[in-house]
Amino acid sequence: MSTLQQLDDSLIARYTSQPTRLPAELRRQIEHAWHGAPVQLYALADLDQGLRLSEAWLALGPRHIAVAKRESDGWDVRSFERSRIEAVREAPGLSANTLTILGTPGEPALALLRYTHRQRRAFENIRFVLEEQVQGHARELADGDADRLYADSVARPIRDAQALVSGRQTAVIRRLLGYLRPYRRQLTLGMAAATVITLVSLVPPYLAGHLIDRVVRPAQAGTLSLARAGTIAWLAVAAMAAVYLIRQAAAHVRLRLMSILGEWVARDLRAELYEHIQHLSLAFFSRKRTGSLITRVSADTDRLWDFLAFGVVDVSLSLVMLAGLGAVLLTLDWRLGLVMTLPVPLFCWLIYRHSEDITRLFIRAWRKWSRVTDVLSDTIPGIRVVKAFNQERREIGRFGERNQDVTAEFNRIHRSWTTFWPLLMLGVHTMTVAVWVFAVPRLLGNGAQLPVGTFVSFLLYTTMFVGPIEVIGQMARTINRATTSAHRVFEVLDTEPEIRDVPEPVRLEPVHGRVTFEHVTFGYDGVRQVLRGLSFDVAPGELIGLVGPSGGGKTTIVNLIARFYDVTGGTIRVDGVDLRRLETGHYRRQIGMVLQDPYLFHGTVLENIRYGLPEAPLNQVVVAAQAANAHDFITRLQHGYDTVVGERGHTLSGGERQRVSIARAILHDPRILILDEATSSVDTETEREIQQALERLVAGRTVFAIAHRLSTLRKASRLFVIEEGRLVEHGTHAELLAKPDGKYRYLYELQMQLQ
Amino acid sequence: MTALAAEQRSRTLTLEWRSDGSLWAVRDEQERAVSVRRCFPWSEPARHLSLRDSDEEEFALVRDPAELDPRSRAALEMALAVAGFVFDVTRVLEIDEEVEIRRWRVETRQGPRTFQTRLDDWPRTLPHGGLLIRDLAGDLYHLGRPEQLDRHSRDLLWAFVD
Repeated sequence: MSTLQQLDDSLIARYTSQPTRLPAELRRQIEHAWHGAPVQLYALADLDQGLRLSEAWLALGPRHIAVAKRESDGWDVRSFERSRIEAVREAPGLSANTLTILGTPGEPALALLRYTHRQRRAFENIRFVLEEQVQGHARELADGDADRLYADSVARPIRDAQALVSGRQTAVIRRLLGYLRPYRRQLTLGMAAATVITLVSLVPPYLAGHLIDRVVRPAQAGTLSLARAGTIAWLAVAAMAAVYLIRQAAAHVRLRLMSILGEWVARDLRAELYEHIQHLSLAFFSRKRTGSLITRVSADTDRLWDFLAFGVVDVSLSLVMLAGLGAVLLTLDWRLGLVMTLPVPLFCWLIYRHSEDITRLFIRAWRKWSRVTDVLSDTIPGIRVVKAFNQERREIGRFGERNQDVTAEFNRIHRSWTTFWPLLMLGVHTMTVAVWVFAVPRLLGNGAQLPVGTFVSFLLYTTMFVGPIEVIGQMARTINRATTSAHRVFEVLDTEPEIRDVPEPVRLEPVHGRVTFEHVTFGYDGVRQVLRGLSFDVAPGELIGLVGPSGGGKTTIVNLIARFYDVTGGTIRVDGVDLRRLETGHYRRQIGMVLQDPYLFHGTVLENIRYGLPEAPLNQVVVAAQAANAHDFITRLQHGYDTVVGERGHTLSGGERQRVSIARAILHDPRILILDEATSSVDTETEREIQQALERLVAGRTVFAIAHRLSTLRKASRLFVIEEGRLVEHGTHAELLAKPDGKYRYLYELQMQLQ
Repeated sequence: MTALAAEQRSRTLTLEWRSDGSLWAVRDEQERAVSVRRCFPWSEPARHLSLRDSDEEEFALVRDPAELDPRSRAALEMALAVAGFVFDVTRVLEIDEEVEIRRWRVETRQGPRTFQTRLDDWPRTLPHGGLLIRDLAGDLYHLGRPEQLDRHSRDLLWAFVD
């Protein structure tokens, strides 16, 4: 079983309270009824006809379908042959979906199952296969994938939402601490300095008590000469000064070493993370939100810096400090020591409870805060609409109401902590008063003897309790925050790139640009095929126009040519070599792309044109820009090629951005060029200029061009009409127009009418 | 618009459940297996009901079920029960935060259920009161009157209710 399936199984078990797979005895029963044929797909129907939660299963085999319902004495299994199916219908609802499998028209349905959205993907897999069958496209399924596909379909929403790392929290922390290993020396020094701070902090109160009991009082009582007392007292003061000096020197060492060390670890994590992200396949990026990935590299590594630099040391030293304080107090006077130490666990617990309560308050405040930001993110980008409909007053009112609401919540938080901490301090002071209550009679001679100095030491030690108690009370929260960030970072690091080079990859030098598809099938998940047995051969230098309805598979074809994904069946060959055997990096350098929404990076026009070839000479940049019809508008800009285009090139118009991206592609000089709707979002005049530029760009290369405006593809060597993942027509523009009932002709005439 | 509405009203729409387990809509010479979609599932759930065929095309719009004959109305109500089904939460047992998700354990009229939401996905307050929670898979959980739940549930929900 793969790691991913183990993860999915554990997610289903932990989060859904539903079976992780088809019950084994039921599977045996079904396969027995099918004469040994395997279950290839299955889904759980978790609602009965009365819409109560229940357990029924739909299983699909090579020739059969089975519906199993749990009865009090076992499973009621009903099987029928797939060949009887005439239609499949799904009726989606808010949370209840109905799948109806129909046989002969007018007859009762062969099966009718209800299920929640949680099961919908698993049902869609089965529905897809059955619909293919009804349409006459038999779909062969691999045996042994049923458990994986079921687990994937149920667990995927959770897996996609959550950063999941195998291992428990302690394992995650251990792994995180492993990043400190290269900096052992600094860590040891930092910890040693922190230990020194803790230990020497215990010295001044002890010295104060010692001075009073052994010097001041004997001197006042005349049992110690003034000269001797003075010498000892000055020595004690000097020792005190030395202690403070050592303490601050150690504090300096600790702060500097640990903060620098934390930065190094954060730098290492950021670098490892960013490098790993660059190698991940596009499938990963389509699963994770961009904002979430940016946060992992920035905020999460920053939070880990904080934890490693200070959290680890603070928590461990607070524990040492409390233990040390307890030991010293109990040694000095066990009765007073108990008065001071017994309430400490209670204080820690109170702080823990308070942090839990505050978290609840914060959840409420964040919820209200999100309502404030909703208004902002609605109305600021949409300010033209607000003004056009004269809704300024209403929006001001809406914002004001929410602003007031969130202020009330934050004030509730302030009321909570401003009440808690003074009360907690009152508790600590009560301990001090209790120490006085127990100590005064003894100071006055009733009960066990208590030297004044010891008592003074006690009082000074009491002030040292608050800091460590506070850190330990918030320890759970600190560790939780750090492990959450660690999960998010490690999840990325643990993701394996799906596109990997074979051990000895082939380098095509030079690439001629022949592209051959041999019975290529592809699906983004394991079942639904986007491309279905696609075959074609494109000679070097051909310009292929890919046309057809949206969702037909055109973009998938170019994604496969660029090897953003690997085929699930069949082979793609470039110059006769299987694409999967090529060295990916070298191959991609031979590929150029001009997309509908060209992406320019924050930087100058020059840097953007030279993106693929940073060392290209300036004269080549100018030649490329001229060929792309970009030179003119670039030189009109105040800073020419050195103009900063801003984030995503927002300071340029759509047509200008497109021409810069064409110049970039021309300079890159690819053997295989992909044009994905390169002229669809510009006006007619700009389109003409871009068309001219593209004509220069495509010369001598193998080109795959996707365009909805069919008139732009007249000059294509051949046109491929792609529909539902199949090549349904191909030929030149003229050949395809000559087909009286051709799909291309129909699409072309439709567009001509609209124009 | 008025002429169009009058014309649509003049056409007789009938609805019936057939042996194939589907709701069928018949109007003039046309008949189609349909599913029901509420246009305003929370603002006005009983009116403006869109009848859609298997291609998700609207076959008819029922502005008010009272316009239908009693048998069609009964058939429509059955379909509405399925189309409008959401989990009806009766108790909240646990709300827990984990890495990036919030885990809910609840009791519903349909049985016990555990589900998850994203940390930044907040329950939605409905126009006529009550809360609606959408889980990671897209299932919906309705809390009609949170203030009438037991004390433990109210305590857990406190941060999510205005």
